[in-house]
Amino acid sequence: MTNTDDTASVDEADVDELVEGAGERAKRTAWRRPRVLLTAGVIGALAVGGVAVAATHRGDQALPVAAPHGSATVPGTPVTVGTDVCGQGWSGGTSGPQTFAFWNNSIQPVEVYVEDPATRKVYLDAENIGSGATRAASVTLGPGTYRFFCMPADSDPVAGASWRLTGDDAGPTTPGIRPVTVRDLIPALKEYERWVRGELPGLQRQTQQVADDVRRGDLVTARSDWLTAHLHYETLGAAYDAFGDDGDAIDALPSATDPAKDPDLHGFHKIEALLWGGAPAARIQGPADDLVKAVAHLRKDMVNPVQSTTVIGLRAHEIIEDAVRFELTGEDDAGSGTDLATIDANLTGSLEALRPLRPILAARGHDLADVDAWIARSRRLVRSYDHHGRWTPVTSLGRRARERLDATLSQTVELLSEVAVMTDPRRSN
Amino acid sequence: MAGECPVTGRFTRRGLFGGAVGAAAAAPVGALVAGRAFADAPSSSPSAAAGESKPTDSYPFEGVHQAGILTPMQRAAAYVSFDVTAANRRELQDALQELTSVARLLTRGGTPPDEGLTGTTWSNGVLGPKIPADGLTVTASVGASLFDGRFGLAKAKPARLRAMEAFPNDDLDPARCHGDLLLQIGAHNTDTVLSALRLLTRRTRGAFAVRWRQDGFSSPPRPSGTPRNLLGFKDGTANPAVDDAALMDRLVWTRAGGDEPAWVAGGSYHVVRVIRMFVEFWDRVSLLEQENMFGRSRDTGAPLTGTDEFDEPDYALDPTGDAIKMDAHIRLANPRTPDTDDQRFLRRSFNYDAGTDMNGNLDMGLIFTAFNQDLERQFVTVQKRLVDEPLVDYISPVGGGYFFALPGVRSADDWLGRGMFA
Repeated sequence: MTNTDDTASVDEADVDELVEGAGERAKRTAWRRPRVLLTAGVIGALAVGGVAVAATHRGDQALPVAAPHGSATVPGTPVTVGTDVCGQGWSGGTSGPQTFAFWNNSIQPVEVYVEDPATRKVYLDAENIGSGATRAASVTLGPGTYRFFCMPADSDPVAGASWRLTGDDAGPTTPGIRPVTVRDLIPALKEYERWVRGELPGLQRQTQQVADDVRRGDLVTARSDWLTAHLHYETLGAAYDAFGDDGDAIDALPSATDPAKDPDLHGFHKIEALLWGGAPAARIQGPADDLVKAVAHLRKDMVNPVQSTTVIGLRAHEIIEDAVRFELTGEDDAGSGTDLATIDANLTGSLEALRPLRPILAARGHDLADVDAWIARSRRLVRSYDHHGRWTPVTSLGRRARERLDATLSQTVELLSEVAVMTDPRRSN
Repeated sequence: MAGECPVTGRFTRRGLFGGAVGAAAAAPVGALVAGRAFADAPSSSPSAAAGESKPTDSYPFEGVHQAGILTPMQRAAAYVSFDVTAANRRELQDALQELTSVARLLTRGGTPPDEGLTGTTWSNGVLGPKIPADGLTVTASVGASLFDGRFGLAKAKPARLRAMEAFPNDDLDPARCHGDLLLQIGAHNTDTVLSALRLLTRRTRGAFAVRWRQDGFSSPPRPSGTPRNLLGFKDGTANPAVDDAALMDRLVWTRAGGDEPAWVAGGSYHVVRVIRMFVEFWDRVSLLEQENMFGRSRDTGAPLTGTDEFDEPDYALDPTGDAIKMDAHIRLANPRTPDTDDQRFLRRSFNYDAGTDMNGNLDMGLIFTAFNQDLERQFVTVQKRLVDEPLVDYISPVGGGYFFALPGVRSADDWLGRGMFA
């Protein structure tokens, strides 16, 4: 563990709980906020399910070996993997493109790495090979020493014997990376959650300010305070998964029809629709007070959040996916025309979500220079539309300006998607 | 619609499309053999191509000229116009190199690069784990706007390149016109076109922003000869023979010298006009009137002075337009006189189908495509003759632009557009 986080400690209860959660990777639900929660209840259910499955398969035994290998129709070098055997059928050869036909001869699903036994860099990860299934997987390897590493779903990993590839193939090879594990990610997640918690008191004060402005009937000030509070909330984007119903109460997307009249809409965008739609203070008071309560409720819920570690790797990416989809199109706007300000806040939020991941990625040789450069470029561009607090509405921009924003944000999110893949929690050795 | 509307090269005359069964499979065979011979080596003889028995579905990416120009039309196509959002000359060069490398890989086909666990998969899986070439061509062309001050390219502008003007019968929508860069992507199947489009745009996301897009298709011969457009007429019958290298040098490939910069050699002025056809209205017009507007038989494609599709229109024996009206499309477009001979150009148009308009009328038509050695001498001159032809009541040009198809990528370390930066 290279993470030098100074406060987060990894206790084993956390690891157990989160490993269970990580086994079922958080689904990327449809692009709508809030995301489905991985709640304690869900984790409990998953754990029970896991036990049930394991019980059915007690007394591990290899399947009868009727044929030397699995399906002959699957292309590739036949390699047997499972709970007892890992890598039978292959003992090395010539460097370059390799295709293996992994046959799982055990009664458990198996995940198989091709790794460098010295560096533990993984070049190929064949996941979820079902019992009895044969799966082809390809990788292009340079000369060197490798081995298969088999991880059955419910028993200890099995390392295969090392094998060598020789040759002078000079073509491109598949890059390897030391897998990021749940254990690596827990401190990062905790650090991130702590940061979110630290922001909430300020957010609460800001939403209270909006409610107070409305109570005084000062709707001009209420607008500017609304923007301050909303932008602050938008920097916390990485926490969407954890916010659940709170997220809905605070920042649900405005509906296509008149959001000011939508009885099901609450939170920032409801208030936005009313404030910018010319509603009297009396009509805004209720929603403004409700927002304060919703944020208070969120603070309570965030004291002990339950999130999968998968979340932390996806966040930085998904925040900007949301920005591209909802803000860049103006879909998220309920009258204030501050979508570009929201994107600016989202970029901040994306950087905050990346921060605790940096040591993990740095230890693997990824400095995120490209990502940082494009986030910085995106911020500069977005902020060029901030005229002393008055933001140009995205929908009022001309074609060239829209194109530049689309291209810049889209390039940024392409790069961020790699972070999500690299920090996808994988099994530890 | 300039020129006689579109089509394939004259391969059809050799019957390579003839007897097509299940058009999707049939077109590639003849098309590809010819493509190998012509797209990359225009001087090679057609008989050599015809003698090649083994069909292939991959057109060479490298050559003096780009593929997708003389290449027989594939069944599916996408025209995508981009504005360049690269911040400077260097970024534009990088993006063009990336575009080249992805296009080279996809047109050759094979196993996509492997990112291992360090990124999402390079490919999108649409074509399966191994990418088939499937007759893919990616033709890159540049618009006049690329040569403004942004990239220091002002002096490199092809002399005749400019923003497409609105002709008298046009109804151009600015949102569907022009662009800094046009990609004309063709393949035997739609999934191949769309997969390529996704991969090409993904690798150049920060540099190229889509401006407009129109997908198209070409029809199988019905029942033989040149494929038909959506007005029901064979389209492209009178195209110059793409296997006549000398003719292509005279009509299609732009030359350096005079007011043209050196780098344009081997390129071609690429005209794209998205032309809506009012098919409901058209279907309410009598066959006689339809045929008089074109000057050809709808059934056979023969000129009204002749019998078979490839008979030459005989204007000498029809001087007053009794058979082929004086204002018929083919007569205006190509009077077949010595002084209009070098105004001919190569047409390579696809049909398009884009749903319905707000009144429920079908939005379909033609992506008129023309390759010219000299934009003014050829397309523009012909188009001016077509102003107010009777056909204009049934069609409406709504988009497109003038572009310049870049010269070919000559070698493994060459890239699209490199000459512009010299």
